[in-house]
Amino acid sequence: MAIFYLLPRFNYYKPKSLNEALKLLNDLENSKVLAGGTDLVLDMKIGRYKPENVIDISHLNELKYIKDDGKSIRIGAGTTLQTILESNIVRKKIPVLAEALEIMGSWQLRNVATIGGNLCNASPAADTAPPLMVLEAQLKLESIEGARYVPITKFFHGPRITELKRNELLTEIIIPYPPSNAGMKFLKLGRRAAHTLSIVAVATLITIKDDKFDIVRIALNSVAPTPLRAYKTEESLKDKPINLNVIEENVKRVAEEIKPISDVRASAEYRKEMSIVLTRDAILESLKMLNVKIGGEEF
Amino acid sequence: MIPLSEDPFYLIEKWLKAKEFLVIGKSIQRIDAFEKVTGKAKFMEDYVLPNMVYVKLVLSSEPHARIKAIDVGRALKIRGVVGVLTAKDIPGENQVGYALPDQPLLAEGKVRYAGEPIALVAAEEPEIAFEASLAIKIDYEPLPPLLDPLEAMKRTDVLVHDERGSNIAFTTRVRKGDVTEGFRVADVIVKNEYRTQHQEHAYLETEGALAIPEIGGRITIISCAQYPHLAQAITARVLGIPASRIRIVQPYIGGGFGGKDDMGPLVAAKAALAAYKIGRPALLIYSREESMKSHCKREASIIRYKSGATKEGKLTAIEVEIIMDTGAYANRGPFILWRATMHASGPYEVPNAKVDGYCVYTNKVYQGSFRGFGNPDVQFAAEAQMDELANKLGMDPVEFRLKNILRPGSLTITSQLLDHSVGIAEALEIVAQRASWKEKRALYSKMKGRFRRGIGVACAWHGISTSRGVPDWSNAFIKIEKDGSIHVFTGIVEIGQGSPTTSHVQIVSEVLGVPVNYINMYFGTSDAPDTGATHASRGTSIGAIGVLVAAAKLRERLNKLAAELLECRPEEVIVRNGKAFVKGREEKYIMWKDLIKEAYARGIEMSATGFFFLPKGTFDHEKGQGFAYPAYSYIVNIAEVEVDIETGIVRVLRMWPALASGRIINPLAVEGQIEGAIAQGMGLALMEKVEFDERGVVINANFTDYVVPTIMDMPKVEKPVYVEDLFKYGPFGAKGVGEMALIPTPAAIANAVTHAIGIRVTELPLTPEKVYFLIRKRKMKG
Ligand SMILES: Cc1cc2nc3c(=O)[nH]c(=O)nc-3n(C[C@H](O)[C@H](O)[C@H](O)COP(=O)(O)OP(=O)(O)OC[C@H]3O[C@@H](n4cnc5c(N)ncnc54)[C@H](O)[C@@H]3O)c2cc1C
Repeated sequence: MAIFYLLPRFNYYKPKSLNEALKLLNDLENSKVLAGGTDLVLDMKIGRYKPENVIDISHLNELKYIKDDGKSIRIGAGTTLQTILESNIVRKKIPVLAEALEIMGSWQLRNVATIGGNLCNASPAADTAPPLMVLEAQLKLESIEGARYVPITKFFHGPRITELKRNELLTEIIIPYPPSNAGMKFLKLGRRAAHTLSIVAVATLITIKDDKFDIVRIALNSVAPTPLRAYKTEESLKDKPINLNVIEENVKRVAEEIKPISDVRASAEYRKEMSIVLTRDAILESLKMLNVKIGGEEF
Repeated sequence: MIPLSEDPFYLIEKWLKAKEFLVIGKSIQRIDAFEKVTGKAKFMEDYVLPNMVYVKLVLSSEPHARIKAIDVGRALKIRGVVGVLTAKDIPGENQVGYALPDQPLLAEGKVRYAGEPIALVAAEEPEIAFEASLAIKIDYEPLPPLLDPLEAMKRTDVLVHDERGSNIAFTTRVRKGDVTEGFRVADVIVKNEYRTQHQEHAYLETEGALAIPEIGGRITIISCAQYPHLAQAITARVLGIPASRIRIVQPYIGGGFGGKDDMGPLVAAKAALAAYKIGRPALLIYSREESMKSHCKREASIIRYKSGATKEGKLTAIEVEIIMDTGAYANRGPFILWRATMHASGPYEVPNAKVDGYCVYTNKVYQGSFRGFGNPDVQFAAEAQMDELANKLGMDPVEFRLKNILRPGSLTITSQLLDHSVGIAEALEIVAQRASWKEKRALYSKMKGRFRRGIGVACAWHGISTSRGVPDWSNAFIKIEKDGSIHVFTGIVEIGQGSPTTSHVQIVSEVLGVPVNYINMYFGTSDAPDTGATHASRGTSIGAIGVLVAAAKLRERLNKLAAELLECRPEEVIVRNGKAFVKGREEKYIMWKDLIKEAYARGIEMSATGFFFLPKGTFDHEKGQGFAYPAYSYIVNIAEVEVDIETGIVRVLRMWPALASGRIINPLAVEGQIEGAIAQGMGLALMEKVEFDERGVVINANFTDYVVPTIMDMPKVEKPVYVEDLFKYGPFGAKGVGEMALIPTPAAIANAVTHAIGIRVTELPLTPEKVYFLIRKRKMKG
């Protein structure tokens, strides 16, 4: 009832179709897209954004779907986190995304928050980013001029800064089928057991060839201005024999690839240490999914 | 002389002796349950009125500064702004300090913390009030802020309160025996420094009040206070009008935990000030950020603790120094420090004790009441010491505690004789057994690998009622209407705990022998006689004595009448299920309704008050000895934890609580209090901490950055053990439970973590990061 914040005044638009939304976005100066609003509305209240025009896309069914086209899974940007979490396709083919969604916010939040919103908000702590990065998702960015596709690894430019041009909308997330026999895992360390922003989160995707690491993908959040892939660490593990010593030795590199800061959640030093621990654990869990027995000493 | 049948001491004792019960000790459903579950229950916000003005706070941005000027001109020009109020608009006294007269309602001359209220803006719309609040310009002359209490104690060149001449607001002391001698005869000595942090109450409902001007110059305030009569008194003082003109009504309250004990009256007074000056209803609600920045917090303490014991496991001496950061104002800090000081030994007998307490001003948000009231910090320290002594002696921690634990006949550190109601030894023995303490302690001591388990025990005691000779009383007013329905008036508020809506109903139902649905509770209002505050675990203990006494008086009158009608002796009259009959001859009866009709017909008064003034002793401050509290409630918590030594994450797996809190009136309600208190205590132990920047500004004043435990963090809380060590003045012997389970929770968890990782933890909260670096520093052997 009583308000505590001044939500700045703005013009509200509710386009009837994606086309109309794109047109509005093209024509209106100083505008913001509203999906679930779980980031945007709060940011407007604290004055981070003061858009003159708000274009609501939350009701556009054109942006709400999960499709399996035989070689990739396509998710509409307006699909809510809970819908994705409950999707059998997602659970079966790309469980690493479901694992991330499962511990995002709460059920109430996931029922309104969208995957497009999580990515476009471009928080360093965005939890859908690491799994989508190891899955090498492509993002479809559309404007009235047409569509273009960018890999998710090229999408984030900085905290709240993305590849999106001012007249572009993220419309679809395309996740190619992961390589067959890939093990994957998402691990998040927060300040409490649930409903928490990460201190660090890690997603991994692993395949094996001839008892050696083949594909190794590692992505982390909350340890740099944007979520990131740890390419050097990945590279160093490739073709290495699979045992605990090798893993422990190589995951240390992660600390060199990240640029964490200290904040109320944790210190930079702790983030560095935990990036190493979580990366190791996620790799071990991924291997477990592949029924690989891990040699080396007990830990 | 009052006749026995009206004498509260006689009546309390009479009902204390009852052996069989109709509803006492039963888990009856709370009468507010349905309303709350269906969302029909009314909270402060549900009382909004059509023509009210919205009030917004203007808070200080500076931690320490002189106010050179407040420019309200631009704000007043905004259309829809009805008024701006500052200190100079206060018609009465701008003085609201509880323990010391050091706190203004609105800052005057100087601000002492970032977040201190300076002005109120009233407007037709909340948006306008908000906008106008930003248009108010305050010209500050910055002063150096003092943030560290240890530094503040030493300095006199910078003073938080110039007129006081020192930054030490208050001191306390205990002196018993001779500590030098005590340490001389000790075979082992342990010395440590402990630190605890500011905790936020994080109540679901923030502070608020709606003040409504009424005819005859009266003001009704719908408020969220824990003590309606205090809200009334403070508002009257601020407005400079008689207290009788102010009526406080408390709807259901969305959590208080002590925070609204301190804040309730201050917020009521602010809303009333606006209503009084503007002549229209005024609504003030704090935003979450305003609440977190400006309302009082659990104290941050530094506790230096030295204790000694003999080879045989007997405590010989303790020497303790307690330094509490009270922030910008004393508020209830002196009382909090007093309580911590008097409980510094933990529930143990120690022949020699020296305790010194310092309550120190700094330029931070002030310290205030919070469930446990200074006691969780000091029990954390005391219980760590007990474990360390046991460790040095090679003794089991439970065994060591049992050798020293308070029992009937013990003398406390203030040399107060505990003559009855001391059930903690039994509680500890039973709960240790239930938790398989010995087996787990041995098993976990040998654990290797990444996930280490630990089991920890902590005992606590908590003096009930106010301290020393500070007056404490109970009261209530009950009238039985002509139709036999019963109207109960109490000042105790419904704050989620269920005292007025459950245990009071049970007490009245038990004493009068009527079904619970005959009873209508009118609670949390200054219309009731002053019942004291709903704090200090007193709602169902001291707070309910009045209800018991008033009901018992009426029962005496009715027994006499029924005896006449049924031709038997008054002690033979049984009233059950709304029927009065002769003991053993149920066919000789009169229905409740008819009995009441008859009472009215014969001119027997069917209303009564239940005033009871608690007998107390005196305390000698110089000697640091004397009477501290009328009795103590006791608790033991055993915590089982698992620590991931690779990340430092602590999971609390199980908790075993054991209460020695006198009569358990409603076990279900008590379980609710225990579980909630454990959650809150676990928050203090593991994750909650108000963080300040280098200027003393709270930087995590929101629930993104300040975390409290979720349901997923909760351990399995085992069914509590109850040792019903009745307290002679408690209603049916109840001592109070609201705060109890919180008090030893940080200590129990800290001791369990210490057991798991083999490193003594001395500082809260035990965040993953803190635990991780502790382990790394010690380089645990694999
Ligand atoms: C209580 C709470 C808990 C949370 N917990 C988590 C958590 O655990 N992990 C986590 O990662 N996040 C969490 N969040 C953040 C937030 O909920 C997520 O980021 C969410 O997915 C945002 O989606 P939305 O639909 O609400 O986005 P909105 O708020 O509607 O939009 C976010 C931003 O993206 C832009 N945008 C949205 N959709 C598009 C589009 N299709 N094209 C272009 N731009 C677009 C908007 O303009 C805005 O700038 C939490 C938030 C809250 C309030």
